[in-house]
Amino acid sequence: MAKYLLKRLLQGIFSVMIVVAIVMIMIYSLLDRNLIFANDSVFSHQSNNSKETYKYAKWEEYGYLDYVPYADYLLELVKKGEIDEETRKAAVGIGRTAEADSDIVKEYVAKYTEYYESQGYKVRRMDAVMLSGKKVADGGKQQLFAYKDIPLLKRLGTYFAGLFEIDNINTVEEDIGDRGLTFTLYDPVYGGEKFSPAIIGNGTKHKYLLYFNSKFPYIHQNIVTINLGTSYTVNKGIDVFTTMTQSQGSYVKSTVTYPTGLVEESADDLHTATYSVGSRETSLIYQERFTDDYTNVGIVKSGLSKMGYSFSIGICAVIMSYLLGIPIGILMARKKDKLVDKIGTVYIVFIIAVPSLAYIFLFKAIGGNLGLPTTFDMESTSKLMFILPIVSLALPSIANLMKWMRRYMIDQMNSDYVKFARSGGLTEGEIFTKHILKNAAIPIVHGIPGGVLGALTGAIITERVYVVPGAGNLLTTAINQYDNGVIVGVTLFYALLTVISIILGDILMAMVDPRISFSTKDR
Amino acid sequence: MDYDYSKLGMSEEELFARVEFDGSSSEKIAAPKYSYWQSVFRVFFRKKINIVILALLAVIIAFAYIYPTVVEYDKYANLMDSAAKHLSPKKALEKFGNSIHWILGTGAAGQSTFDAVWYGSKISISLALCCAAINMTIGVVIGAIWGFSKKVDAVMMAVYNVIGNIPYILFISVMVMLFTPSFWTMVLALTITGWLGIAYFIRTQVIIIRDREYNLASKCLGTSTPKIAMKNILPFMTSIIVTLLATEIPSYISYEVFLAYIGMGLSDMSLGRMIFEAESAMVTPGWEFEFWSPVAVSAIITVVLYVVGQNLGDASDPRTHM
Repeated sequence: MAKYLLKRLLQGIFSVMIVVAIVMIMIYSLLDRNLIFANDSVFSHQSNNSKETYKYAKWEEYGYLDYVPYADYLLELVKKGEIDEETRKAAVGIGRTAEADSDIVKEYVAKYTEYYESQGYKVRRMDAVMLSGKKVADGGKQQLFAYKDIPLLKRLGTYFAGLFEIDNINTVEEDIGDRGLTFTLYDPVYGGEKFSPAIIGNGTKHKYLLYFNSKFPYIHQNIVTINLGTSYTVNKGIDVFTTMTQSQGSYVKSTVTYPTGLVEESADDLHTATYSVGSRETSLIYQERFTDDYTNVGIVKSGLSKMGYSFSIGICAVIMSYLLGIPIGILMARKKDKLVDKIGTVYIVFIIAVPSLAYIFLFKAIGGNLGLPTTFDMESTSKLMFILPIVSLALPSIANLMKWMRRYMIDQMNSDYVKFARSGGLTEGEIFTKHILKNAAIPIVHGIPGGVLGALTGAIITERVYVVPGAGNLLTTAINQYDNGVIVGVTLFYALLTVISIILGDILMAMVDPRISFSTKDR
Repeated sequence: MDYDYSKLGMSEEELFARVEFDGSSSEKIAAPKYSYWQSVFRVFFRKKINIVILALLAVIIAFAYIYPTVVEYDKYANLMDSAAKHLSPKKALEKFGNSIHWILGTGAAGQSTFDAVWYGSKISISLALCCAAINMTIGVVIGAIWGFSKKVDAVMMAVYNVIGNIPYILFISVMVMLFTPSFWTMVLALTITGWLGIAYFIRTQVIIIRDREYNLASKCLGTSTPKIAMKNILPFMTSIIVTLLATEIPSYISYEVFLAYIGMGLSDMSLGRMIFEAESAMVTPGWEFEFWSPVAVSAIITVVLYVVGQNLGDASDPRTHM
């Protein structure tokens, strides 16, 4: 069994990788890469040559290509010790046109061109854009750079290699004093007197690697971070996984004791502090509060995360649909061709045939007339606003469960073992609960993990109609705003959830039905 | 006991006349006359509700395909008339006089909602029919091969596991971004992977029937595989295919509405796009008709198509022909 599951898991991961590869081909090769600048205000304010270099710099940032400006090449040479600072300064100033270069510049430009062209890069030189006579136009400074498209395999490799980032004491490149981990039983965030174990690092990206607080699941870690892909437009510079999991809403202030001893009403969450180079020196605010450069702190907010809202709505809808769908399906099978069955069938036809948008709006209108809140408000403490989204989400899955439960029950009703049980004198109730139900439930059980994990991804229409700040719209928003990082990240997340839920479904099915076996011997 | 044979309509002599033994007639196998499609329609029309629904379908098709060719519709005809915008049916009838155009009121540009709905229906129904025709043809053919050949099965299962994991919206949005969102782009987007699910369904059905005893017997008697596929398996599949078609056609209309709602729909005024554009009108008092008319019409179309398809699917199952 374990061997079989491992094989299934590996197959699943392999197919997830292919999915990511296909998605990458689709968005990086098939789509026009200029589209990503559609909503970039910085880009639209640039002009001439600097607009071009901005484009290449951004394309490098978002994984399209490898971009090396001439100046960076020279800096690299200085680092390697091949040239000294004097030579660099003399060589860096390229002329307005290639002819205007000084001899030393010509020499290094030739070296640069030869070096990068031999590696398959394209070298591009843009002459200065002149307004009149000697005046250079806005953003029209001369440019020299080399670029190369990143091949798919390399892109895939870097993406998967960067998925899990393990924080260690050598993460910070700058000089930070004694690197190391300290284990304390009395977390300084709580004043250093309350018992609360924590691991604090110096030289790591996060200051707190392990800590306890009052929020579920009480113990938190920052050792392993998941990077699904950096967002460009949806949530600028923030990773997809963080976008989905960070809390939203208004600030929650509490009394915070900063490392310097300053006590203040603030929403800062000191446990989330990350390293920010030289930040303490530049800011007086940081100097008053922090004793080191771990100044980049998160903020405590009142609401749930995107995934949190989607999941709380989704899981309630899943529970509701199983609690209602299965008993009604059973009832329909028992009263086949009676009134209950007919009403149920009409409902199923309605849900299947009517566009989901139509009945969600219908339900919104009915709920609104009953006085239920029809839009979501994060600041409100009322739980009533959850009702309509949950019900709208549950309606189609109730119909689906009713349909299949009825179908499986009726199929089982005609089988030989049921006739045998009946001839043996069992009551109809006994036959239904002890014999048919157990067999009919097997295929239904298979869908439970899918339903639960699917709740994490959110529902597109429901969340849009009720203005729920959930994760369901992330993919469509990302597509509308050409945010490649988010598209790849969300696809990977969806694909992983699908693979895992199918495997979990199979395991659950094997647990319910002893006849199903995964070991190859029995087959 | 005496029996009154005249009740049977024949005299006693006729009833008890001797019949000569005929050796040649014992060679014939007597079976009642049976025509498959005739029986399908006989069973279909036996339910009176089907006639009503079919008539409703005919009315919808007539309105969607004939009405737009007869009536001139210009969305921006009343654009300059600010008093013509967002009218309720009652006010529109008062303003423009009693005409069929205005019974659903007017929209944001002063256009007739009634006309717009039928123009939209034409596009939506055409889209659904095109997609269903393409997906069903490819799906059934590939699904049949997939079910029959074990080598194809291994390859296709791998393809299915991978493509099934890619969000469907992603394919569609890439298509929409690559080309302009025209009618045929949308067809391409909905069919590029849409056939895969149908093929998988057909494959499962073919595998179920493929190894039945009667096919084994047929194979032993030397029937060729194409003949088994055509004569033994295809008739069995007819009702399954028709039932599948009944769920497929409405699903494309629903899908189009969904795509338009999230802003990835057609550039033409389909039903989905109408709903998308009139969304804000839903909550504005007096404007509700703009929003609910396309919603209601799309719901009616899909329900009618679904019910007709399901009942036709039931009727095409030979086991109901008794």
